[in-house]
Order: sequence, then structure tokens, then C-alpha cells
Amino acid sequence: MDWWFWPACLFVFTLVIGIIAPISGVGGGVLFVPLTTAFFPFHVDFIRGAGLIMALTSALSSAPHLTKKGLANIRIMAPIVIVSIVTSILGGFIGLWITSAFPEGKYYITILLGVVLFLIFIVMMTSKRVEFPEVKRVDSISEKLGIKGAWYEPTLDRVVEYRVTNMKIAIPAFAGVGFIAGMFGLGAGWANVPVLNLVMGAPIKVATSTSMMIITVNDAAAAWVYLSKGAILPMIVIPSVVGITIGARIGAKLAVVARPRIVKYVVLAVMLLAAVLDIYKGLAGLGYVPKMF
Amino acid sequence: MKEVKVDPMNTSFAKTMEILTYLGLVLMIVPGVAYLVMGVGYVSTEDVVKNWGKSTKEFWKSTKGIEIHGYSWFLNNLSYFDCLSVIGIVILAVAPLASVVASTVRADAKYKILLLIVIVEFVVAIVRPLFMYVAGH
Repeated sequence: MDWWFWPACLFVFTLVIGIIAPISGVGGGVLFVPLTTAFFPFHVDFIRGAGLIMALTSALSSAPHLTKKGLANIRIMAPIVIVSIVTSILGGFIGLWITSAFPEGKYYITILLGVVLFLIFIVMMTSKRVEFPEVKRVDSISEKLGIKGAWYEPTLDRVVEYRVTNMKIAIPAFAGVGFIAGMFGLGAGWANVPVLNLVMGAPIKVATSTSMMIITVNDAAAAWVYLSKGAILPMIVIPSVVGITIGARIGAKLAVVARPRIVKYVVLAVMLLAAVLDIYKGLAGLGYVPKMF
Repeated sequence: MKEVKVDPMNTSFAKTMEILTYLGLVLMIVPGVAYLVMGVGYVSTEDVVKNWGKSTKEFWKSTKGIEIHGYSWFLNNLSYFDCLSVIGIVILAVAPLASVVASTVRADAKYKILLLIVIVEFVVAIVRPLFMYVAGH
């Protein structure tokens, strides 16, 4: 088999993920790591490294535009990332330590990835989105920091002002999310958005945009761990980033025309399959079940 | 479209991030594609394919006979396209830090403190591997 076979497959695969992600509303970063771990021959270290760079690139590409519009807000991000930077670095460090310290570490990580994917599946199936949540009482931290913002909403033809609350509950939640993102190289929009929207009361557009801003900081901090361990391979990163970038542009255009709900359920079913495959692959590696192939 | 006054802190953050993202993407993708097309790099494409199923530690032992501690593996080999491509990734990974630094200048006193903590954490994340290596880990 020629050397370019798998990188070419990776390019096509990420192109498809990029197209599907905006249509289904499921983040590309969340799909990339578990599916690549299940179907490609690369070690999970390099897949996590590539996943992290992919999520970082996507977030960096959209965050500036959203920030200029007033949708992503550094006032919300700053108190959160003070904690989540530490946990995301810790996650990256522990994840790479497990695979290098234990001969069977790769399989433990693969099983854990499957379990996390189940968790993500449940969150995506059950969490709701509130367009404009009502914040009746601002918490003391948000009050002292003067966290507020505004953006022009074209569907309402007016400027919408917002405030947030429950910072004391949100910060530990973001700490956990940062750890998972760093450890598995996953994008974290699946968890950031519900916490910002449902717990803190940020309008959904502000939640999705500020989530991007948080991902830029968390993933960039964790990326240094992967860089310092040599877990970033251009042969895996480049086809992935190029594929998902082109795919996302096509997907964004298609999403404007049609966004059938069935696509979301098909993607969630694929996610569930990847979770099962990852757990099976890990258990097979440890010798608890027979290998598939 | 109605005008919204965006916090100057956010504007500085966005402008810096935008510039560094473009720069990082170009520097990552152009040499990266050249590496994939030519097949020659610090680690040849054949060696990568033979060893990409191994853990990072085993990969570097098998391909170059080295253990990786820090950033010298790509900084000392910038004449190769694969390592040059990693410089693009470095710029992307430093973009949020530079954006936070830029926004600190226009922040109020409370946010100056918060953002300074973020900057310190980020800098520690970058230099931590160098200290750990010197310390013999």
C-alpha cells in the first residue's frame, strides 16, 4: 500500500465530517477523535494531537468575527479560563503520561474515550437550547466583574442586551470540561454551550460564540503539552485541518438551504457506534474480548 | 445594521487573533503540503507510515533514536518542511496568548488582574517542559 493512502483517506474523512458538522449541529472536533481512533491505524496520541489542533484552528477561524460583533465576550471568558487552562494542561499531560507509562495505556485511553463519547451522546440528546434566557438575579462574581454585553440581532432588528449568573457553579463545570478536552483532544462546544446557556443564562448565540473563545484558550494551552512531547505529526494534522476547513465551508452553505433533523440523529447514531467500537477495541487490546480484525 | 459599541478589550482581542490565525494557517499549510508532496522531511513519510501506530515515545525512538523533551525537535530542524509546518502550529497555539496580552492593555483594573493571571498560566504552560527537562524528568 502506498504511503499516501491513509493521509488521503483522512482528508476525505475530515472533509465529510466538515460537511456534516454544520448540518447536524454536532461539532467536528467531537466526531474526529473517536471515529479516527476506531477506524484508522494511527496511535491515539497522534490522533488526540491532531484533534486538538483541528478544534483550535476551527475556533480561531470563527472567534475574531464573533467577538467583533459583540457575541463572544472576554468578560465571560476570563474568570472561566483561569481555572480551565490549568485543567486542560493537566488533562493533556495525564493523557500522554498514561500511554507512555503503561504498555497497555493506549487501550485504557481508548476505553475512556468511548465512555466520554457516551456522556457526550447523552448530553446532546437531552440538553435543550434557550434562545433568550431570563436572568432574574446576577450572582456576586458576575456583579463585581460587571459582566454584561450587547449585540445587534437581525431577526429582531434591535440590539439585545444580556447579563449572566451562576458563575460559582459554572467555573467547576468548565474545569471538568477543560480536563476532558485536554486529555482526549476533543472540541468542547458540546459541554460549554449548555453550561453557558442553561446554567449561566447567556443567550444561545452568545453561548456558542463565547464557547469558541474559551476553546481557543484551553486548546492552545493543551497544545503546548502535545508539542513538547512530539505528539503533533504534520502528516496527520495537515490533511485533517485542510479537509475539515474545506468541508465546513461547504457544510455551512448547505446548512443555510436545508438542515434536516434526521442528519443529526444519523450523526448521533454514528457517534454511539464509535463509542461502542472504541470500548470494544480497548477491551480487545487488553485481552478481555476477541479482536475484531 | 444597528451599531453596537463593542468593549475595546474584545476588539483588541479579535484583531490580534485574526492576524495571527491567518499567519499561522499559511505557515502551517504551505510547508505541510510541500512535505506531503515531496515526501522528504526531518522524519521521512515512509518512516512516519511505518511507526504511526506506536506511542509518541516509541515513535521518536524508532524513527530518530531520540526522546522528546521540549521543542528542540522542530526548532533545530527548520530546514525541513515538516518542522517548518510545526512553526505554523506554534503561531496558532500562541495566538490566544497574544490576543489576551493585547486586550489587557485596554482592560479595566479588575480585568487587568484576571487577564494577567491567564497570561502567567499560559507562559507557564509554554515553558514548563523546558524546566522539567532541565530538572531531569
